Amino acid sequence: MMFKATPLFAPLFAVAAAALAATPALAQSTSDTSEFAVIGNVPALCSGGTISGANATFDLGVLVNTSTGLLRPDLSAPSKVITGSFCSARSTINVDADAMAAQTFTATPPAGFSRTVHYVATASGWTVTPASFDTAQAVNSAATQSRDTAFTGDITVALSNFTTAGGNALRLVADPSYLGTVTVTLAAAE
Amino acid sequence: MRRFALLATALTMAAASAAAVPAFGQTSVVSRAMPVTGNAPEVCTLQRATLAQGSQINFRALTGNLLQIDTLVDPATLATNAASARIEFAAVCNFPHRIRLESQNNGLWQTDGSMNQPADGFAYALPYRAELHWGEVNGALDANANVRRIAERRFNVDQATVGEVELRILIEAGASNTRSNAPVLAGFYRDTLRIFLEPR
Repeated sequence: MMFKATPLFAPLFAVAAAALAATPALAQSTSDTSEFAVIGNVPALCSGGTISGANATFDLGVLVNTSTGLLRPDLSAPSKVITGSFCSARSTINVDADAMAAQTFTATPPAGFSRTVHYVATASGWTVTPASFDTAQAVNSAATQSRDTAFTGDITVALSNFTTAGGNALRLVADPSYLGTVTVTLAAAE
Repeated sequence: MRRFALLATALTMAAASAAAVPAFGQTSVVSRAMPVTGNAPEVCTLQRATLAQGSQINFRALTGNLLQIDTLVDPATLATNAASARIEFAAVCNFPHRIRLESQNNGLWQTDGSMNQPADGFAYALPYRAELHWGEVNGALDANANVRRIAERRFNVDQATVGEVELRILIEAGASNTRSNAPVLAGFYRDTLRIFLEPR
């Protein structure tokens, strides 16, 4: 197929040769330059990375002091580290969280009881000021933080300040499953 | 040429596509969601008893879990004196449950063996009433002293409850297992009341 295409270009070469022959000697040059552009672009991208550990779950275990029924004051869970994240441009990090709520007991709790546990979720390492979200607050102005440069690095997500919705004098209703969610979002700025 | 032109167009599109579409897993916005889990097991707790201030009539102060009648019988008639007291227990159950009130002897019975044989005309066991209040429950156990045995009442509680279990013990004047106002045989009379907060 390629050999068959060759004759198609022959007239072009012939025209070029004729042009060279007709050019005056003063206009001749021993070198010539031509420019062509090679272009590409890298869009503003973010990659979420992977969550370290066996799974992505913050498992707090038993939430209450079984002698009192009150929320355990020493409640904690190991931090999660998101590794391999990057953004190729300036970016924002946002942390959002839902309070832990009883999944089986969905009715309004009786007097003296609660079915919700609040907490603060913090994502640090991406920005100077960690992004944090308090599920007990209606407004979380610190939930979104910005950085002005591209970045790659670990994000450490931690939970703290566990409180019983309605006040820590309330007991939690018994339930085999209390569930909340923390969501960390990276967004590249164009 | 048409083939070449088509190929060139295809290459151009591929190049444009590579430039505009991020690699797999890369977009301008990415999120990672992490569940937060826990559980609250079924818990019932019952704290130590306290005597409601000013509630007792003919009862001494509560000593540990012992509530002693001050003067069990009228010294002139030997008939039972009236007595009452209210005892409170701070308690909580975080699930629908049951409260059970148990009298070990079904009344106050001699426990020291000083009078093994009943005597005609004398009372040898004393009935009493235990009134219970817990959340939505208002009930009573009548320990009638007819037969020495375990007597109990059970009450279901349909919701988690926190507060005070209130127990009021009432001994009527002249209480007797034989006839009202019968003289009471000498001896040491005792019963044990047990309160259970438990799954239904």
